Amino acid sequence: MAQLDPLIHAPARLQVVTTLSAVSEAEFATLRAVLEVSDSVLSKHVSALAEAGYVHSRKGVRAGRRTTWIGLTNAGREALREHVAALRQLIDKVD
Amino acid sequence: MLSIMESSTAQPNPDDPRSVLAGADQARQRLAAGLRLPAGLHPALAAAVAVQVGTAAYGIANHATAGLAVALAGVAVFLSVAAFSLYQFRRINGVRVDGLASQIVLGAGATSTMAYAGAFGAATWAAFESRWWLVVAAAVAGGAGYAFGSLRWWHAYRRDPAARTGGASPRVLAALAVVACLGLVTLLAAG
Repeated sequence: MAQLDPLIHAPARLQVVTTLSAVSEAEFATLRAVLEVSDSVLSKHVSALAEAGYVHSRKGVRAGRRTTWIGLTNAGREALREHVAALRQLIDKVD
Repeated sequence: MLSIMESSTAQPNPDDPRSVLAGADQARQRLAAGLRLPAGLHPALAAAVAVQVGTAAYGIANHATAGLAVALAGVAVFLSVAAFSLYQFRRINGVRVDGLASQIVLGAGATSTMAYAGAFGAATWAAFESRWWLVVAAAVAGGAGYAFGSLRWWHAYRRDPAARTGGASPRVLAALAVVACLGLVTLLAAG
């Protein structure tokens, strides 16, 4: 049976991981705009996810300015898959 | 103004799994729906593939240094268009999608692969027979089919981005481009 992952259980954290699952890498500013959060809020989530090995980040350049690119790791994709499966099981139980 | 994540009214209820999942899916769909392809990507891709197929067929049938140069020039045109398109996509959207890169550079989908293989075979045969109008027709048809396959993939990606985002990384694609060039040189030298 799939298990809930406490690290991505918070709705905001799950949104970050789920959004990243749509791309190979996203620029920090793009992710911030899609999720409509502040720099500091997103930074905290990304730091926590990076510490757990769920995302990787690297410095890059876009249109001549320095940016940070963030992507899900394989561990992050697997954690998301497990967590979503666990949530679906909970929904099925309620139904 | 409070954001979706920060406002108490818009935030999904953490105790309701359905609401949590819906909120996360909406965020992902917002990203995918906002992505834009560079203007003229598919016509440019069709033209680049047509040039590559036509020049490769000419080069294989030609058996001379000039043929090799023409074929390599065709590969250079194709790779330049592909690389510029992917650079533009990343610049416009602020994201990298390896699945898209695989479609554009490798023609990874069934439609693109079949269109390319069929066009390449027909154009090469026509070049050996010196039926140049047929070389051009096969190359144009191959380019159109390749671009159509890429367009189909894009629509499928927009419907289910998480399932289709994976593909060859930029490093793998660069290595494959080098291998393709070396393979073409070997093929032409052996011919």
